[in-house]
Amino acid sequence: MSISRKCVPFTPFEGELARSTIAIVTAGGVHLNEQEPFNIADELGDLTYRIIPEGVDSSQLHVTHHHYDHTDADKDINVVFPIDVLRDLQAHGFIKGVAKKHVGYMGYTMQLKAMYEGTAREIANEIDKGSQADAVILTGG
Amino acid sequence: MKGIPTVLITVSPEVSAQMRPPRALYPKGFKIGNSMGGPGMRELQGQVLREALSLLGENTRPGQVITREYPVYREYHEPPRVRN
Repeated sequence: MSISRKCVPFTPFEGELARSTIAIVTAGGVHLNEQEPFNIADELGDLTYRIIPEGVDSSQLHVTHHHYDHTDADKDINVVFPIDVLRDLQAHGFIKGVAKKHVGYMGYTMQLKAMYEGTAREIANEIDKGSQADAVILTGG
Repeated sequence: MKGIPTVLITVSPEVSAQMRPPRALYPKGFKIGNSMGGPGMRELQGQVLREALSLLGENTRPGQVITREYPVYREYHEPPRVRN
């Protein structure tokens, strides 16, 4: 297993929340029911990710992850993927909007270098291109 | 790509701090799998999310995890106590 020693780049936030659109990126193994589940059989972890669209019905989301107890997420996905909560904040004017796409991945891997240099960059590019997000909320399991 | 601001909600603050996240909130005592609170606790979930997003406008430093307490969560989950 290779471990990255790089630090996380700091990007300043120069806007106002009430004028900002927010995306969610979760390591909690969240995906649409209809999407391929994460491969929990691979002991090295699954480096893939799933795009979750803007208008998703939260009842259509599912967790595939075997490194945390997701019993509560199975009852209410908002405990790890707060999409309905974000919509509440939009309705109250706390934020301007909910991004056009969000990302779920399985936050367990023994391939940290591949995660850092591959998956993480791909996820960042997904959010950067077409999500219209001004900022991102990151959640784990 | 110029980068995009992020804020992390973590229930494993010691582990997360090692990665030096730009901004991070630790809802104290929340168990793994309950980053936002318990199921159906929409008011609490909203409070956690508002406070996390508000960190975007604060002067945080990478690796600093801000701890906040949400007493209402204890009605749902009480952490196990260690016996002496």
